[in-house]
Amino acid sequence: MEETNKQVPVTVLTGFLGAGKTTLLNRILTEQHGKKYAVIVNEFGEQGIDNDLVVDADEEVFEMNNGCICCTVRGDLIRILSGLMKRADKLDAIIVETTGLADPAPVAQTFFVDQDVADRTKLDAIVTVADAVHLSTQLTDHHEAEEQIAFADVVLLNKIDLVDESGLEIVKERIKKINPFAKVINTTKCGVSLNEILNLDAFSLKRVLDVEPDFLTSDHDHEHDDDVTSLSFVSDTPLDMEKFQDWFSKLLQTKGQDILRTKGILDFTGESDRYVFQGVHMLMDASPMGKWPEGKERSSRLVFIGRNLESMNLKEGFENCKSA
Amino acid sequence: MKADTSQFPELDKTKFEQRGTEFKLGIPVTNAVTVGNSIAVGFGDGTVRIFTSGKSSEPIKAHKGIVLCISKDGDNILTGGDDGRFLKISLDGKISEIGNFGTRWVDHVTANNGSLVCSSGNIVYLWSPNHKEPKLFEHNSTIGGIAFDAKGRRLAVSRYGGVTLWKKDYSNKWNSSELNWKGSHNKVIFSPDGKYLVTSMQENQLHFWRLKDKIDSAMSGYGAKIKSFAFVDDSKYLATSGAKEAVCWPFDGDGPVGREPICLPYVGNKLVTFVEPFPNENAILTGLSDGSVFLSEIEKASNTIIIRSFTEFEVSAIAVTKDCSHLLIGDMGGNILWTSIWDEEKK
Repeated sequence: MEETNKQVPVTVLTGFLGAGKTTLLNRILTEQHGKKYAVIVNEFGEQGIDNDLVVDADEEVFEMNNGCICCTVRGDLIRILSGLMKRADKLDAIIVETTGLADPAPVAQTFFVDQDVADRTKLDAIVTVADAVHLSTQLTDHHEAEEQIAFADVVLLNKIDLVDESGLEIVKERIKKINPFAKVINTTKCGVSLNEILNLDAFSLKRVLDVEPDFLTSDHDHEHDDDVTSLSFVSDTPLDMEKFQDWFSKLLQTKGQDILRTKGILDFTGESDRYVFQGVHMLMDASPMGKWPEGKERSSRLVFIGRNLESMNLKEGFENCKSA
Repeated sequence: MKADTSQFPELDKTKFEQRGTEFKLGIPVTNAVTVGNSIAVGFGDGTVRIFTSGKSSEPIKAHKGIVLCISKDGDNILTGGDDGRFLKISLDGKISEIGNFGTRWVDHVTANNGSLVCSSGNIVYLWSPNHKEPKLFEHNSTIGGIAFDAKGRRLAVSRYGGVTLWKKDYSNKWNSSELNWKGSHNKVIFSPDGKYLVTSMQENQLHFWRLKDKIDSAMSGYGAKIKSFAFVDDSKYLATSGAKEAVCWPFDGDGPVGREPICLPYVGNKLVTFVEPFPNENAILTGLSDGSVFLSEIEKASNTIIIRSFTEFEVSAIAVTKDCSHLLIGDMGGNILWTSIWDEEKK
């Protein structure tokens, strides 16, 4: 996903039904005067979107016929985004609203897999609207709610006026445990400054460098095996590139279904550049990102968000990549 | 897609550019169709323009946003748009609305023996002559392409997981059968002799079925998605885009299995984005990602001539008039070349 000015940013809005997606969407559309947006909605979406360019989509999830079972894409998005790019007038942004029960992975993967989509548009950020009152129950009952939090770059924790302070803390801790990178914004009626949710460029490799996960030292006692959690590793010893590639590619090939998102900044022996990557399931965007800043310690940082992470011997695998 | 022009020397205009008329409209050309000795062009602002020798072409405001697809019904143009409308436009610019699907796009249009057909979402709608209400053909996923065979008795509908083949029996009842192949299928065409069905896929490959025995196979090895492909010289070759050469698969005899395609190379090392058969010849017009267009004889690549030099924008439409007197080239930058094919004295 190379960055150029010609790529139209695409913001993905996820969140359970009733969390406030449509409220947020209408805020975006009414507050951004003079901007041209296309809004892609789904047929089960809440009604009443105030925009002259609304496209109905079907959320068709396609398996790519490339032997990779978790490589699913949104076929309807490929069709619609490719079509929108033929418009004579340039769009300022595209907003994709997903259904409440949608898994964000196929949406994100579409931007990795389809060359036409990647050439002309870029995934800007996944914004998840969560209902502060009901999120805890939804996270327990629905995989999809966990995935929506796991993939979020921003979580809009909405309806905070309806929970007390301790209730809010519990929900926020739950979010942080699933996804330590997501920026959590407390809102009522989705009242948020639009520059906190639009044009974030959250999927660019440059932004991986800014990531400072908000690590939590919470105990792991109450987790079920299929809870989404995150694990992070840091090493001051440089890594061996060959060992790392070997370990990491095997890991994604075999466990890619359980690993939802990965991000990393890597310091390889003998390399003067920082290596940065970010991935969704088995798909990966990686590139050297210039020299390490002078006078700053070089170190490798690696983060996983997924299910059953404890069973993957990630710590051992990572340790084995250190240069002898 | 913008080409890197720094590596090209300044080229003189081709004789076709000198002879023809160039339009720099700045509106992406989405598609074109030959309607007799006219060519209708669809644009990314919802307009259609009709090019006819000796006449000026004015924009016809057909759709609100984009002309997504174009076809013809006799002397009329059919278009589908992102405003959800399925339109019939006469050569003098009169518009009539056949169907309206609101916020759902009309992705594909075609016609057969007076029946008008479009697809929107996962449904194909067929209006028989003198019927107000369309007949609906429902599918399990959004439709990637529709095509009638030459006789109009079979309608192929590509979709996720393969192609649904609708066949009209002699009591005019439509029955369906499925041709399955994993993955998402886009454009679909029959070979003119009716023996083969070919689809392009979301992956960088094509798939074909030999209809008499349902034998199927993939045609792969492409560097990009295959957006344009067509049968040439009746059904002898299938010319395809998606590589830096025009890849032409042999479909005579027993078909392409076990045989090598003919690959026609072009200067500049750019991606082929459009192929259009030259009528009644074993030759193709090839459009590239930098806007250049060539005419090549398939079995004699040395007989390649340049029709249009580069414009920096990928070629998105090429069409030849029925009498083979004129051709039109359009690209994503909104540049159009409309030119006579032959020298005036040869006419």
